[in-house]
Amino acid sequence: MASLSFPKSTSKRKIKPFWPVVVSLLLLLLLGAAVIPELDLFPESWNIGLREPFNEFKRWVVINRTTHWMFVFFFEPLSNALDFIIRLVENFLLWLPWPVTMVLFFWSAHKISGLRLALLVSGCLFLMGMFGLWEASMQTLALMTISVVIALGLGIPLGIWSARSERVEWMLRPVLDAMQTVPIFVYLIPVVLFFGIARVPSAIATIVYALPPAIRLTSLGIRRVPADALEAADAFGSTDRQKLIKVQIPMAMPSIMAGVNQTIMMALSIVVLAALIGSGGLGDVVLKALRRLQVGVALEAGLAIVVMAILLDRFSVALGQFSVINQASFRGFRLLPDRWRGIGWVDWFENGLDGLYRWIERMTNRLGQLLPSPLKPYQDALLFGAFCLFFLFILLLSGVDSFPEGLNLEISRPVDALVSWMQVNLYEIGNTGLGTGPFRDFLIIRIFLPLADFLTNVVPWPVILLVFGAAAWQTGRRRLTVGVILMLLLIGLTGMWSFAMDTLGQTLVAVIICVLIGIPLGIWASRSNTVDRLIRPILDFLQTIPIFVYLVPVIMLFGSGSVAGLIASVLYAVVPVIRLTNLGIRQVDQTILESAEAFGSTSWQRLLKVEVPLAAPSIMLGINQTIMMALAMVIIAGLVGATGLGLEVVQGFANNNLGRSVEAGLAIVLLAMVIDRITEAWAEKAAQAANL
Amino acid sequence: MKVQLKNIWKIFGPSPKHILNTIEASNSRADILADTGHVLAVRQVNLDIAAGEIFVVMGLSGSGKSTLIRCLSRLIEPTEGQVIINGRDVTTMNESQLRELRRHTVSMVFQRFGLFPHRRVIENVAYGLEIQGVPAAERRDKAQQILELVGLNGWGDHFPHELSGGMQQRVGLARALAVDPEILLCDEPFSALDPLIRRDMQNELLNLQQALQKTIIFITHDFLEALKIGDRIAIMKDGLIVQVGTPQEIITNPADEYVREFIQDVPRSRVLTAGSVMKAVSEIPGFSKNPGILTTTTLQDLIPLVAALDGPLAVEDETGSVVGIINREIVMMALAEQGATE
Repeated sequence: MASLSFPKSTSKRKIKPFWPVVVSLLLLLLLGAAVIPELDLFPESWNIGLREPFNEFKRWVVINRTTHWMFVFFFEPLSNALDFIIRLVENFLLWLPWPVTMVLFFWSAHKISGLRLALLVSGCLFLMGMFGLWEASMQTLALMTISVVIALGLGIPLGIWSARSERVEWMLRPVLDAMQTVPIFVYLIPVVLFFGIARVPSAIATIVYALPPAIRLTSLGIRRVPADALEAADAFGSTDRQKLIKVQIPMAMPSIMAGVNQTIMMALSIVVLAALIGSGGLGDVVLKALRRLQVGVALEAGLAIVVMAILLDRFSVALGQFSVINQASFRGFRLLPDRWRGIGWVDWFENGLDGLYRWIERMTNRLGQLLPSPLKPYQDALLFGAFCLFFLFILLLSGVDSFPEGLNLEISRPVDALVSWMQVNLYEIGNTGLGTGPFRDFLIIRIFLPLADFLTNVVPWPVILLVFGAAAWQTGRRRLTVGVILMLLLIGLTGMWSFAMDTLGQTLVAVIICVLIGIPLGIWASRSNTVDRLIRPILDFLQTIPIFVYLVPVIMLFGSGSVAGLIASVLYAVVPVIRLTNLGIRQVDQTILESAEAFGSTSWQRLLKVEVPLAAPSIMLGINQTIMMALAMVIIAGLVGATGLGLEVVQGFANNNLGRSVEAGLAIVLLAMVIDRITEAWAEKAAQAANL
Repeated sequence: MKVQLKNIWKIFGPSPKHILNTIEASNSRADILADTGHVLAVRQVNLDIAAGEIFVVMGLSGSGKSTLIRCLSRLIEPTEGQVIINGRDVTTMNESQLRELRRHTVSMVFQRFGLFPHRRVIENVAYGLEIQGVPAAERRDKAQQILELVGLNGWGDHFPHELSGGMQQRVGLARALAVDPEILLCDEPFSALDPLIRRDMQNELLNLQQALQKTIIFITHDFLEALKIGDRIAIMKDGLIVQVGTPQEIITNPADEYVREFIQDVPRSRVLTAGSVMKAVSEIPGFSKNPGILTTTTLQDLIPLVAALDGPLAVEDETGSVVGIINREIVMMALAEQGATE
């Protein structure tokens, strides 16, 4: 986006030699490309052959896995230990009769927060069982539990350490920043290299991916403990340890618990990707179903993942409130996120629950009064016993070992039926030329293919370098310009140029659509509180559910391929541009708006001449994030057959050609870094301009 | 002497030790900041504080008083000088000795209370005992006693934020007293409170002091508070101590213009006593001893007497012997801010 908008904005600036230089370079390159073929298509012969050493290394790993000390004494024991624990938890969860699991969850949720959470949690578990996914869910739960526990076990101490040592903070910060920019998939490559494909590498990838929020929020929480509390602790002669345990950690607890919650959500968001390297569980079900185009099954498993996300999210939030229950911030626990408070239907829903809760309480009290008086103190225990008996009843009806089939909620069949109906009937509605089929064909034939062709074959590759270089130059950072050109060159040198251009084209389309939808929606939401309240839960939902789940309904309509990838990317990536446009405009200073009003601006004039320019930095930041998220979707889109770098990565994995995955993964990272740095620099420039 | 400060300096900046040697008496604080980028917070402070006295350090914000009080228990490390408490040099103590000092000897009350929001009132009060390793039951009993002492009986199980500002500072005071310290450092403890609450707390502190007889070092920016509470007062300006003395000495004999500025706002009739304005006489030429004027009688109480009775009146000390005389003119001159010394 940034590179597209740049000619217009630069024409106003007075850097005189810039444009003549760019134009003459452009003409020169076009001329050169016509004469010298190396300047037209990126020459194959320049390939530095990055993939071979990697494949070589992989072969070496395979051969030496049993002999080399690195594996014998480090990776193998680590892997075995981890595998042992995962299996232990998994076997335990699978061994537990499902009613016992439910009762345990119900009971602990009731202890932590009360009946509401207990009902929610057992409802979620029940739903997983009803989808016929009890075993897969328990496998995923086991892997999640272990990964999250280890991630927290590493992350919280690291966070504490980095809060207490500037040096550690200084060392960790760039690593954590980088971890957030790099697409998830890239983590998988080294993990697979050393651990192969199984549960252990999935756990390790999950741990690494979920680690940053635990570190960050622990460190942040401890650093934000007010100085006066620390001084008081010092003044009474606390040792460092006492200060940490009695003051800093307890006071940082809300932040640490937020970190725990985010860690869990991050871990859950890569469930499906982890299945690529053999995690099993729900992710595996989704993946296999998608490959076989069994949309119904994929939807069930996807929903089970969402349900598990809801379960773990609410459970961990409640746990956080439980540990700080004595503090001022404790309010009645709400099922839906606190920031949705004040939205009509949310309040209505919560009030309804409150009513239900009170009703149940009244009923149990009334029942309690019917009890003979010596039993009254044991009212709660009796209630619990009755609950257990009820389960025992179901148990007797159905058997202990597996979730009763009679309770199955088969949504896959109706969904499959719906999909085939849609494929027949929505493909083309009548003879109007409208429908999903023509839409898809139009996008592929008229936009994706020509765009990819234009970027790879029509435009000589040096021209792309020139355009990116010029965009970077305009931010006034020479080192950035050099870096951008070198990084793009490296993509070409690894033989990924044409794939990268394909991906660039698709990403560009996705981002343009996001911006076209997102900015007006953001402006609308900034104008109307109703719209804001309406879309906030939707945006939250889009960001909470695992990326993969978007794909399922999209595939239902459009089949697999680039179009499904595009739509999923748009759904996933449109959120930040809406949010930050809304936020940017809402943050414009009230007095500035008043003065605009005082001069008699119309509403449109105020928007275009005051609000949008002042919100520009925020909007640019939103676009930056949107681009990054669209790029993060590239590999996911590749999994459903969208062409380009994503497909290369996926096929590299599938064909045991790790080098190819590495090259394509590297190209994605490079592309992401190039675009990130340029748009970030543009956003900063916009911020400076807005300040002037 | 309970507490002695010898040549205490505190300089903030990149190389305070180095700067210390280059400072001359004539350099002002602003010059040093402009020339070297170092902030001279405390400058050559020498003080002797006796056991059982309330010693007030009074100064405006930025005068270095908060830094000075923190140098006492080395919450801020002094750049130069010695702090001697009970004859032991605090500045040379190692970390564990210092910790012992803070746990048992010196305790502190803070301006913003510095209470731990995650702990109940009683747990706040017991904090000092807890980190000393006192068993739970014992420290709970002790904390309970102290809470009663500061008038917070029944509030132990509340959280600090559920209490009013005045009550929170009572908790702060209780927390400091719970470890039974010999020395109590109070860093503007009442500044954040409403005027009425502040007066109550001042009285409360004086009452407690009557019973407990601690050595209290009390920081304030409120001159009236200093006069009310202090047995002796040190006035600080730009890191320097400009005057040390009893309230009477400071009122009747301000060291410079700066101190005089403060005195202008003081209702002199309530501070000055007969003893501080009287004309001292040793022989007794037969003045009337009728109204029974003591050296500690304030001018406020004298005014009706000198207005009603003509002629000089005798002033007695505690033993009943006449030590001076007072008349209408002396009282009026004293009220007109022209001390007897001028």
